Amino acid sequence: MQLPLFSVLDTVRELGWSGAVELFRNGLALGSLYALIALGYTMVYGILKLLNFAHGDVYMVGAFIGFGVLNAFGGSPSPSIAILPLIVLMFVVAMLGSGVLGVVIERFAYRPLRSSPRLTLLITALGVSFFLQNSMLLLFGAQFRSYQSFQLGSDNPAAFEPGPLVEPVFTIADVNFQRIQLAVFATSIALMVALTLLVAKTTLGKAMRATAFDHEAAAMMGIDVNRVIAATFFIGSVLAGAAGVMFGLMFSQINHFMGFYAGLKGFTAAVVGGIGSIPGAMLGGLLVGLVESYAQGYLGGQWSDIAVFGILIFVLLVRPTGLLGARAIQKV
Amino acid sequence: MQRRGHRPRTYAALGALLTALLALAAVIGATATRSAAAPAAADSTAIACGNRVSIGFAAPVTGPAGPLGQQMARWGKFAETRWNRAHKLDIRLVQGDTQLPDTAQAVRVAETLASNQSVLAVVGPAGSQEVEVSTAPFRRGGVANISGTATATSLTVSGKRRGYFFRTVPNDDQQSARAAAFIRRNLRASRIVVIDAQNSYSTGLADGVQRLLRAAGASVQRESVNEATITDFSSLIARIPNDTQIVYTPWQLAAKAQQFGEQLRASGRNATLFGGDGLYSPDDLKLPGTHVTAFPVALGNRTIRAYQRGPGGGSSDLFGLPSYVAVDVAARAVEKACANGQATRAEVRRFIARTNIPKAQSLLGFPIRFQQTVKRPLGPGDMRTPAQYIVYRINANGQFVKVG
Repeated sequence: MQLPLFSVLDTVRELGWSGAVELFRNGLALGSLYALIALGYTMVYGILKLLNFAHGDVYMVGAFIGFGVLNAFGGSPSPSIAILPLIVLMFVVAMLGSGVLGVVIERFAYRPLRSSPRLTLLITALGVSFFLQNSMLLLFGAQFRSYQSFQLGSDNPAAFEPGPLVEPVFTIADVNFQRIQLAVFATSIALMVALTLLVAKTTLGKAMRATAFDHEAAAMMGIDVNRVIAATFFIGSVLAGAAGVMFGLMFSQINHFMGFYAGLKGFTAAVVGGIGSIPGAMLGGLLVGLVESYAQGYLGGQWSDIAVFGILIFVLLVRPTGLLGARAIQKV
Repeated sequence: MQRRGHRPRTYAALGALLTALLALAAVIGATATRSAAAPAAADSTAIACGNRVSIGFAAPVTGPAGPLGQQMARWGKFAETRWNRAHKLDIRLVQGDTQLPDTAQAVRVAETLASNQSVLAVVGPAGSQEVEVSTAPFRRGGVANISGTATATSLTVSGKRRGYFFRTVPNDDQQSARAAAFIRRNLRASRIVVIDAQNSYSTGLADGVQRLLRAAGASVQRESVNEATITDFSSLIARIPNDTQIVYTPWQLAAKAQQFGEQLRASGRNATLFGGDGLYSPDDLKLPGTHVTAFPVALGNRTIRAYQRGPGGGSSDLFGLPSYVAVDVAARAVEKACANGQATRAEVRRFIARTNIPKAQSLLGFPIRFQQTVKRPLGPGDMRTPAQYIVYRINANGQFVKVG
């Protein structure tokens, strides 16, 4: 592997302005997915100080639930109902299913160990991750399942004509912005805003913040801590379910292993942004997506992960709390 | 006096220590020489065959390459069932999950199978990089391994695995020559992007095709991608010039190639996808216009039809077919070695090397015999009959049609 500077500059010149825009568009869409996963990590960490490594697998289950709904209505590329209500239904069912899964995981795997050392919880989280991954392997096999989103809703799928999801909405510098890419970005922003409002403006949000600050004090103030933690897992998992369906709609292929790497990137995004911070998760997700995209475009595929994890190391070195993370105040 | 009295004892002690060290060095040296040059006594240990013998089966049934490993495992299980139905001596496949690309896991599986004295031969492992790292444990145990998927030319032409490693799939040099010739002569392409998948199957083919195409005067741009972990190809696609005619993708995950092809089309690029035998998967790859090379297969054979009706469940995957053949080769050798009621690994190795399955019985469409010497592009352990690779094109209905 070589990184000759001149070759990189040549690539930048060759790709030109439109290449830069294309990479920006790709990074934004990918980063939106990472951001949604990172939000789940950050919420759970904020409230329990737990790195929930099973979160990536909840996202994978969400993608499978969405696929199940798609198939229940005739499957891609020609479902039996209109595309828009079908996609809405896929999102609703996958988000609810993933949310319930998150609550079940919290109730049966994490709650009994809440007073145990943090390492125990961490190992349990890894165990839950493998459990989910291999359960899906047993249930659905190892082969990839395809949303066939390229042809979904196409007038002539037999001739491999593209469907409405990949239709360009507008063009900048000769780069098409497809409907699905814009939808993923817009949905991620909308979900993040909704989450921020929920945490900042609602009673549940206030209870979540209180629980994150001090479990015991929150309980003494009459907050049902168990319920708040369950709600946190539900919301985080709902976002992961949404991200799973978005992934399927944008990239088509899903399998039981997809949560591992996505979870790793989501976790990286959460740490880069400042774990525990909701805007930080969004910022971290977009940053990781953009770095991955530009590294792949300008440096080549073998450099993208090096760049992403290089950023993680750099941020941890210069700002250990992450870009938007708050400095922890210790009682002495 | 005291000092003079002590000196002989000191010399004696030093002498004894030196002797002990020399003896230890001799023992270690002898052991090391034996393990490097020849297998331990494991390969001459006779085991009673009884009614059933064990054959190891190393495949990545979980992990990123799980879709491939599961195909191999299904074909392997199918071979076991069919063999046991037709023969008195039953075989039992002892499965090891190598979790490709985790080569450390492949070594652990190889060590487990090699140390299991009841295992007389091993089918697998899947990846060429896995074969590379598994050679030492298999050799130490004196056990032969037959891979149905490892295609790196260097595995055999180096001559280092003579008598221990065999494969029931043609090597990269044979396939890359066919692919390059078809791209240049039939498709008349001169602007090609080669994307390897950062594993030894893929880089071997990519290197070969790139070298041959450049030698033929074509312009070749080389790219890399980790097909097992990548989720979004769009940034890679941004690097592909708009006037590219062929994108050569010697990958193994057909579903990922399908996704890549869809994103390539969505980006407005019209390049034709060209894959290797790893992409011969009509269930997962349906992109019209795509070409793939595939080794010859006796498609009308009733065993293949039975698989597609039964364990394949309507699936037309053929990726695991050479693993079926590998199980068959191993079972035949074990049966011969067990003729007198007991068998050693050394006998099984010898019988594998002498395999001779006529064309009429071969699912690969040509006789199966193994090369004994280096004769490029073949090496010891390669199939002796040169494979005539077929080129398929996917038509508008998503079907694979033979075009060369």
